[in-house]
Amino acid sequence: MEVPEVKEWLLPFLLGALTGVLSAWGVGGGTLLLLCMTLFLGVDQAEAQGINLLYFLPTAGVSLLFHRRNGYLDTTVFKAAAPFGAVCALAAALISTAADVSLLRRPFGVFLLYAGVTMLLRPEGKENRHA
Amino acid sequence: MNDSADRAVSPPQGGETHKYRIAGAIAGAVNGLFGGGGGIPLTVLLTGWAKLDGKTAFATCVAVVLPLCAVSAAAYLLRSGVSLVRALPYLAGGLVGGLIGGKLFRGVPGVWLRRVFALFLLYGAWRYLR
Repeated sequence: MEVPEVKEWLLPFLLGALTGVLSAWGVGGGTLLLLCMTLFLGVDQAEAQGINLLYFLPTAGVSLLFHRRNGYLDTTVFKAAAPFGAVCALAAALISTAADVSLLRRPFGVFLLYAGVTMLLRPEGKENRHA
Repeated sequence: MNDSADRAVSPPQGGETHKYRIAGAIAGAVNGLFGGGGGIPLTVLLTGWAKLDGKTAFATCVAVVLPLCAVSAAAYLLRSGVSLVRALPYLAGGLVGGLIGGKLFRGVPGVWLRRVFALFLLYGAWRYLR
């Protein structure tokens, strides 16, 4: 028997909560959510990207209240990086929505490969200096 | 271990600003093109290139990616017509996860987390590239 509520509400909610913890830690929970949506829940790439962007707003917003209170935010970095990033994000999103999304599979795969190898090869000495 | 001593070591003011700008621009481009993941090159560049402390880099990264996602999300909503009803359960889940993650962040052991995540990224790369 088909139970649409589970696939449409419960699984997305649980997936959002699990990846939300990783998003709060800044270790790429958004990428993880995007992969789960497209690979396991059958959401098409374009809609998954839109949902993923919206999902990050409440998730990151609430976690930043804690990061700020705990003294982990560097405002100098934020003020320099955020405006440049926002302009590039807008331009790239317009290009992305105008182009055929199947063209993005290969560059996205290359990006994931790069990110995965970089994370595996990073020396351990830099971890948790604040902990 | 020595928290106050580590916090006192901050990157030099001014000299690193161009690195923060370039890292932010790359993060924005990745985020806009792939609908997420901009935080990954940002974290890599902030820790490896701009020599920012590990945990400060992760948390600041979340702050920088937030406006990027807001801008990209607006563009997607206008042009692609994402269903808000379908997005809602992910957003509600994310709110709960973000709350839990924010509370737990101070005690996170980063090494195992990054390795498990790296393996998942490589699995995803294999799926997209084959």
